[in-house]
Amino acid sequence: MADELIPRPRSESELPSRKPASSPRLIYTPPIDIFDTDDGLVLHADLPGVSTDTLELQVQDNKLTLFGRVQSPAPPEARGVHREYEEGDYFRSFILSDDVDHERISARMSNGVLVVTLPRAARPAPRRIPIDSQ
Amino acid sequence: MPVFRWGNAWEAFRDLEREMDRLLRGVHASIPGLRFGRQYPPLNLYELEDEYLITAELPGTRPDEFELTIANGILTMKGTRRDPEGIPEDRFRRQERFRGEWQRSVSVPERVDEERLSAEFSNGVLAIHLPKAPGGQPRQIPVAEGGE
Repeated sequence: MADELIPRPRSESELPSRKPASSPRLIYTPPIDIFDTDDGLVLHADLPGVSTDTLELQVQDNKLTLFGRVQSPAPPEARGVHREYEEGDYFRSFILSDDVDHERISARMSNGVLVVTLPRAARPAPRRIPIDSQ
Repeated sequence: MPVFRWGNAWEAFRDLEREMDRLLRGVHASIPGLRFGRQYPPLNLYELEDEYLITAELPGTRPDEFELTIANGILTMKGTRRDPEGIPEDRFRRQERFRGEWQRSVSVPERVDEERLSAEFSNGVLAIHLPKAPGGQPRQIPVAEGGE
């Protein structure tokens, strides 16, 4: 496949093994952007309501997983009058290609957006394969 | 004059929403399978003992990048969500996040004290506090004598 660098989203069924305790919560797939830079890839994920303290981001083998817990700004006694979104947590995981230097992955949270920088690993120069004509 | 009666009052909000939908048709990118297929930003309204609370999900927006105004009983929030750091289109491998101009308007209940309205913004979630005004006193409407 041409775009091996693209982290591919995994299926919904791969929920985190350590589930949040107590009441069942909704889990959403956050929308993301991924773009190329000269140094690698940058991923942005919308995680409104998630703070640095409530985000878990991990790389295991070649899988990058994000799990964000949402803290509601509404106190528990608040009565919902109109609802356009249900509060829930965020989960999404990606397969990283070998082109990503796992050791140098870095991330930050800014106003409810997660920014993950995925630097490209140094690779040997491509080898030209001569083609013989018959 | 906006009439905002509890119970069915939110119908007014929905009408306004439909109107905004009509005006902004095509502006909102809808993403199948994701939760942002609808209006941006999605809003929730809560009632507490002494206030109403509106929450809106505005991830990636800085407090200085949107406007919150109230006039004639209509609370309006608007802003623009920009591309990350001016990256050219052809560099994107995946583009699912909403971008572009957005605006939402909400009729405010008349029993709200507009002067004491306050808002805070935290982790990409806007919370607008609308303190309830003291119980409405019936107002006497003077009836003038007709000329005849």
